[in-house]
Amino acid sequence: MVIVTLEPENTSVTFPKINSVLQLLNRLQRKSTGVLVIRNGKLLTPDCKILHNDNIIVRDVTSRG
Amino acid sequence: MKCKRCKKTAAVALPSHNTAFCPECYLIFFARQIERAIHVQKMFTHDDTLLVAISGGKDSLAITWQLAKLGYNVTGLHLDLGIGESSVKARQTTEDFCSAYNIPLQIVEFAEQGLAIPEVKQKIRRPICSVCGQLKRHFFNKIAIEGGFTTLVTGHNLDDEVARLFSNTLAWDQAYLQSQGPVLPAEQGFAKKVKPLYTVSEFETANLCFLAGIHYGYHPCPFSRGASFTSYKALFNQLEELQPGRKRCFYQKFLEQGRPHFQNSREINRELHPCPLCGFPTSTPEATPCGVCRIRELMRS
Repeated sequence: MVIVTLEPENTSVTFPKINSVLQLLNRLQRKSTGVLVIRNGKLLTPDCKILHNDNIIVRDVTSRG
Repeated sequence: MKCKRCKKTAAVALPSHNTAFCPECYLIFFARQIERAIHVQKMFTHDDTLLVAISGGKDSLAITWQLAKLGYNVTGLHLDLGIGESSVKARQTTEDFCSAYNIPLQIVEFAEQGLAIPEVKQKIRRPICSVCGQLKRHFFNKIAIEGGFTTLVTGHNLDDEVARLFSNTLAWDQAYLQSQGPVLPAEQGFAKKVKPLYTVSEFETANLCFLAGIHYGYHPCPFSRGASFTSYKALFNQLEELQPGRKRCFYQKFLEQGRPHFQNSREINRELHPCPLCGFPTSTPEATPCGVCRIRELMRS
């Protein structure tokens, strides 16, 4: 199970299996240059593998006024 | 993905530059982008005194941090708009940041001026974003001039500039197209204004904040829902996904090849004179108060 926290909403979604950051972004319908993807306090690029039991933060970077 | 400079594992991928960087090299890359923008556009030197408008968002914090790190003489200016929790959080973020990095900070409270934005919104029929922008520009200029600062720095980034250019182009607004750019020289009572982030996307400033450990919080303005610039940014982000680098190209080509065509626009050659009430320049008819003083009068009435 992969747990993903979406910021700034601070909501969580879970996925049984996700292979890569790119796949995660596609599932979430996010653009790679529209969010920061963070695992254990480190940034991930779209090609990074996502492992079972990972906790991932997806932080939207688009300003909203 | 590997870092372009040192070949370590990359942390930031930048499709628009067709490259990627590790954390250490990204900080170098970012600093060099800012230094290049300052140098190419002749924005300021280390002898200048810079007043940086800090909203508490990632862009203004990123540019303040970067300029201070590069050894420039920076002072922060925060405008507390009086918009409930949004303004309280923005001010706290700004104060915490300036305190952490020993950056002098000036604060103007709109409520103290009788100009708290929610109250202005109730009295004025114009779109509040337009009025708020007018008030902010007035105070940025006023504090810069009265404080003897040589340059006013804002955190407008590439996305802001592209959205504005697109808006001005949709309207073919010659005056705005003539004056849009990363540097507005000092003239007739206006301080010099510069935008050192004009080549940098908000994705890049967000990465900078994360890697530099800058806390920027999240405090959107409740009145900005449906703002046209937000939808223009979304449009260009879709285009950027298909054609990485298109935003930067659109803006750079405008500066190099588009803007010169608007330099002789008649509309911009408006006459400025001092406002009879506040003394700051205005293009309103002679002896008529400027827009900000008219708002003040309305709020007092």
